Amino acid sequence: MPWPKETKYLGKSTPRAEGPAKVSGRAKFTTDVAPAGVLFGAILRSTWAAARIKSIDLTAAQAAPGIKAALLVHNGEYLTRYYGDELAALAGTSRQAVLDALRLIKVDAEPLPFVVKELDAIKPDAAQVFAGRPNQGNNPARDSGRPDDAFAAAAAVVEGSFATQIELHQSMEPHAYAVSFEGDEMTAWASTQGVFAVRDGYARNLGLPQNKVRVICEHMGGGFGAKSSLSIEGELCAKLAQAAGAPVKLVLTRFEESLATGNRPSSFQKLKLAADKDGKLTAFQMDGFGTPGYMASAPNGGGSNGVALPMPYLYRVPNSRVKQSAVAINAGVACAMRAPAHPPAAYGMEGILDDLAVKLALDPVAIRLLNDPSEVRRHELEVGAEKFGWKAKYQKPGSSPGPVKVGIGCASAAWMSGGRGTQAEAQISSDGTVEIRVGTQDLGTGSRTVVQVVAAEMLGIDPALVTARVGDTRYPPSGGSGGSATTASVSPAIFDLCEKAVEELKKTSGLDDPRGANWKAACAKIGATPLAVTGRWRDGLSTGGAGGVQFAEVEVDTETGFVKLRKILAVHDCGTVVNRLTCESQINGGVIMGIGYALYEQRVMDRRSGVLLNPNFETYKLPGIGDIPAIELLLLDMPERGVIGIGEPCTVPTAAAIANAVANALGVRVPSLPITPDKVLAALGQVPDNGDRAAQVRDLEGAFARVAGAERPILLTETPA
Amino acid sequence: MNAFAYVTAQTPESAIELARDDGRFLAGGMDLLGELKESLAAPKTLVNVKALPGTADVQLDGGKCRLGANVTLAKLAAHPELRRVLPGLTEAAAEVGSPQIRHRATVGGNLAQHSRCWYYRHRDVHCRKKGGTLCYARQGESKFHSLFTGCMCLSPAVSNLAIALAALDARVIVQRGRSTDSLTVAQLYASAWNTPSAHNSLQPGELILRIEIPAPAGLRSAYLQLSEKSDFDWALVSCSAAAKVTGQTLTGVRVVLGAVAPIPWQVDAANAFLEGKPLTDETARRAAELMLRDALPAGDNAYKLPIARALVRRTLLQLVA
Ligand SMILES: Cc1cc2nc3c(=O)[nH]c(=O)nc-3n(C[C@H](O)[C@H](O)[C@H](O)COP(=O)(O)OP(=O)(O)OC[C@H]3O[C@@H](n4cnc5c(N)ncnc54)[C@H](O)[C@@H]3O)c2cc1C
Repeated sequence: MPWPKETKYLGKSTPRAEGPAKVSGRAKFTTDVAPAGVLFGAILRSTWAAARIKSIDLTAAQAAPGIKAALLVHNGEYLTRYYGDELAALAGTSRQAVLDALRLIKVDAEPLPFVVKELDAIKPDAAQVFAGRPNQGNNPARDSGRPDDAFAAAAAVVEGSFATQIELHQSMEPHAYAVSFEGDEMTAWASTQGVFAVRDGYARNLGLPQNKVRVICEHMGGGFGAKSSLSIEGELCAKLAQAAGAPVKLVLTRFEESLATGNRPSSFQKLKLAADKDGKLTAFQMDGFGTPGYMASAPNGGGSNGVALPMPYLYRVPNSRVKQSAVAINAGVACAMRAPAHPPAAYGMEGILDDLAVKLALDPVAIRLLNDPSEVRRHELEVGAEKFGWKAKYQKPGSSPGPVKVGIGCASAAWMSGGRGTQAEAQISSDGTVEIRVGTQDLGTGSRTVVQVVAAEMLGIDPALVTARVGDTRYPPSGGSGGSATTASVSPAIFDLCEKAVEELKKTSGLDDPRGANWKAACAKIGATPLAVTGRWRDGLSTGGAGGVQFAEVEVDTETGFVKLRKILAVHDCGTVVNRLTCESQINGGVIMGIGYALYEQRVMDRRSGVLLNPNFETYKLPGIGDIPAIELLLLDMPERGVIGIGEPCTVPTAAAIANAVANALGVRVPSLPITPDKVLAALGQVPDNGDRAAQVRDLEGAFARVAGAERPILLTETPA
Repeated sequence: MNAFAYVTAQTPESAIELARDDGRFLAGGMDLLGELKESLAAPKTLVNVKALPGTADVQLDGGKCRLGANVTLAKLAAHPELRRVLPGLTEAAAEVGSPQIRHRATVGGNLAQHSRCWYYRHRDVHCRKKGGTLCYARQGESKFHSLFTGCMCLSPAVSNLAIALAALDARVIVQRGRSTDSLTVAQLYASAWNTPSAHNSLQPGELILRIEIPAPAGLRSAYLQLSEKSDFDWALVSCSAAAKVTGQTLTGVRVVLGAVAPIPWQVDAANAFLEGKPLTDETARRAAELMLRDALPAGDNAYKLPIARALVRRTLLQLVA
């Protein structure tokens, strides 16, 4: 690939362009936007997990002081299917006025039976989320080869059950919109991963011409997949603005974020894996299910809100049988979340693989080297194991002495990544400064700095001469920030733009090479009309297929069940490293998110009331600074592969590696995430059982049996009744 | 949140007078503001008690420590003399929440804080503690709940300071109308044992003035807690112990467990068993068993038993370390 080998900025560390604005508070997020006369919007939500909404009376709320607009989400009678569902919205002159008025809305509702837990929902007598349809969907098994024969002939077979929780995105910045109409022009400020997707959503849902809608996202505090398109609160915000004839801002609270803005679906995986005597995998079987909330549809092959996992993950097993289904419950719906479906897949597959290694008395790294089809990842395993000191540290499971046991584990990740169409435009002025506009957004990954670094490298100038403007649909189009595609989409467009700029500048200045030392002189010839150039993404500068391997070292206190991380080593391949600083920052963030998934985070629903019990950071536990061990990074810098995104693969294997390290420390496996002290102690047989746990195991076994045994596919459709 | 009046009291008497008509005392607000925002409480008046004279002082002399009700947990945790003399107390304070919370939170507010049960704290759950008919935790999510209770409610006492102060045999000086009463920590919490709606024994308008802690020479104290996270997390179980230590022998022993009952959990038989004996791993184990006898785990909290056992042993061993 044409990326330079000798570089000044590419692959080096340039501080984030917007860093000073962010740390000084100057950076404007959506919540800081305050068009003159802006009103505050807020949403009334269902307090029932399931109910027939007969009527909603807005009269009292409308008459309340300061209230300027009120609207219903649906008209007429209808069913609400989860606690937190949007029912109505208000806009008023202060936040307090709106919150007070929300309490005046009268909802006439008939509560209906509901079910909020997967293992309850799959019981034959469970309340049905959609009347007349079983909660548990059912898909035919996907067979390849001859799994039954292969299991029968195998040298070793292991079986295990693995479960993962519902994880919430919990971006630092909640979903936030501000909408203003002037004449027939609409401007929306949105905390979004896709300004163009939001624009198109508005045009479609409000019946506006696309060229009259402008969406701006100057800064945002994370999205992780939950801010990919126009969400209902954004639509309500615009409708309130229309109704009130004034700008409206609607920022969700942490409470609302937890209920209704998406999540990573749960998974229950019964896995069986076989190998020959050398450890070469021969057969795999999975019966699995999980819930994406009330809109359970058929598994869609491992992405977006589907619950199906890409199994047997990154390994090629010649004989396999995979059956997966989705279970509907009365709870908020899943959506894409950082590497959808991959972290749970890695947790299950890398876990059962380690169990198999133990059974065959093989080293976990060795069994991966034997079975991983990716050359890059095998290399990562080798260099990682070396740097981690794997050989010296590895002990037989449960064999470390004393009550505080030490363990190590590793796990791998695969991600498609890849770049796609992005366009950019630049104005180069006679003073040598460059303004580059590209309609991508900065999800937090440092898009501006990527633009600066690539331009500075290609033009041979100081990055300080380059101003990058992003996050506006008035700039040349770029796709949503998803699939770890942003840097791989933007960088080639800037590369292309710089090539064109150099060509143009050669002509204007008459210099052979206007770059570097000649830059100022060349630009001086530009005159009063800035040089305008455009660039677009093209093939051959970015690729996909990122791999990564992570290693974890843990200490487990077998008397209290407490897991303390000692160290994580993350080895990743992202082709050409564009900006090392922000790249490493992505990986640190991904690892930290993986630590949360491994040890702390979990949405908790209440069976009897149907509410979500932990809609706050006090009881929805995110890792804090004290929970983060030393994170070491090893980046394979491979310019020949082009730019590859890193945002998602870096979070995939963390939980799996930690879970394997815990299993190595204890000699037994904790069968679900997060690995909290109660579960560690239970796995060690130290928790007296009053019968509840045995009942849970029976429920789980029953569910797996149903997944395995069901012959006829009963597909759940996503259309609500 | 409802509208309310805000007043700053200058004397305990006026504070009590101002709070008489549906008022609540406001100290650091770390607990009360949460209740207001979730509409769990809607007082007419917030009576700021932070300006009461002398209530932010720490005094340590003559084998006695006096802590004003408005001493912040940050000040307590960082106090060099107290850290030396009463490490059980300062450790308990240091483990509360985050630095931001500790800088606001006060001793009085910590002792008088309300239930942290996630059903109680939920705006849309009307549980037994709020006057409803059900304790949802009983057949629900009881991971953080009590192993012992004298009533329907499973919400545990979670004040770190209450656990440490009970071990230290502290007295809580409370202004009740015109009289000033001296309560043990057990007395301060007794009502919560058998009254589902009670968080502690304080009636509306009863004001904590200060805490008095005996700190005789030779006193040792310790506090340990186990949380799911390393930092900024509630204790799943906490334990505090204090005793006079001569060689390895303990006298005047008190061991207390937190987050296992609606009151700081003290078992006389365990204290009596340890009294006058040299502390060993074995006696510490036996004491733990005595403390946990008759525990009645709910669905999800039996795991607290092994943790409590480990903490009792480790806390006691710290006394003689
Ligand atoms: C996220 C989070 C984590 C926390 N973690 C912990 C923890 O790990 N351990 C722990 O122990 N606590 C924890 N807390 C609770 C917090 O420490 C206590 O709520 C704090 O000490 C309360 O003190 P305050 O001064 O802020 O009380 P306030 O909120 O002002 O008052 C609390 C209650 O006490 C009453 N009150 C205040 N002063 C007096 C007085 N002088 N006399 C009588 N009544 C009075 C108030 O009316 C109110 O009912 C946490 C709180 C939060 C929000």
